[in-house]
Amino acid sequence: MIVNVQFWSFFKELAGCDRSSFNVSPGTTVGQLQDLIAARFPKLSGLRGSTLVAVGVDYQPAHHVLSENDLISIFPPVQGG
Amino acid sequence: MRRQLSIGSELIDEAVLIARRDASHGIGAALCFSGLVRGSEDSVQIGGIEYEAFSEMATHQFHRLFDELERRWPMIESVRLVHRVGWVPVGESSLWLEVLSPHRAESFAAGQWLIDEMKRVVPIWKRIQKG
Repeated sequence: MIVNVQFWSFFKELAGCDRSSFNVSPGTTVGQLQDLIAARFPKLSGLRGSTLVAVGVDYQPAHHVLSENDLISIFPPVQGG
Repeated sequence: MRRQLSIGSELIDEAVLIARRDASHGIGAALCFSGLVRGSEDSVQIGGIEYEAFSEMATHQFHRLFDELERRWPMIESVRLVHRVGWVPVGESSLWLEVLSPHRAESFAAGQWLIDEMKRVVPIWKRIQKG
């Protein structure tokens, strides 16, 4: 199944793009997708400890199971205000 | 609780916002906070800050915070919050918040809590631009 990933803030520069699609197996979790993202975009791999992940408009933990056509957002700590 | 949220690039006009205040006669505290862009970051002079927002998620997360704020402080009558995105030069306001409540304690507490939580969960980022 296809899931789509979008990058925000300086993660866009590190990834070299603002979006990417991944073909993953049903049952793939957020954590497993992060492994795939790190493999495709090595500059992001060292930042995993501070990376925030949302599916749609809600934060999700590593064990969250993805669905077909999910939009996953990957970004650094937020800094509003 | 009434809530009003705006995330946009327009200048924050505090006078206009205050003129539009809608407070019942039960309100005794109107807490207003402005977050201004400082002229330096980490001792380096800057010209301003470029704010980027994931607007759809930011709106959703703000409304989750408003829901929680209402649960924690049910006496609060109104919350209005404006956050700028795009380029904000030094000295201008990037954030404006108003909390209306019968007494000051809940307005101060709720306003502090809301800004702290915003900085934890609302997807808005800064990009410092040197002066």
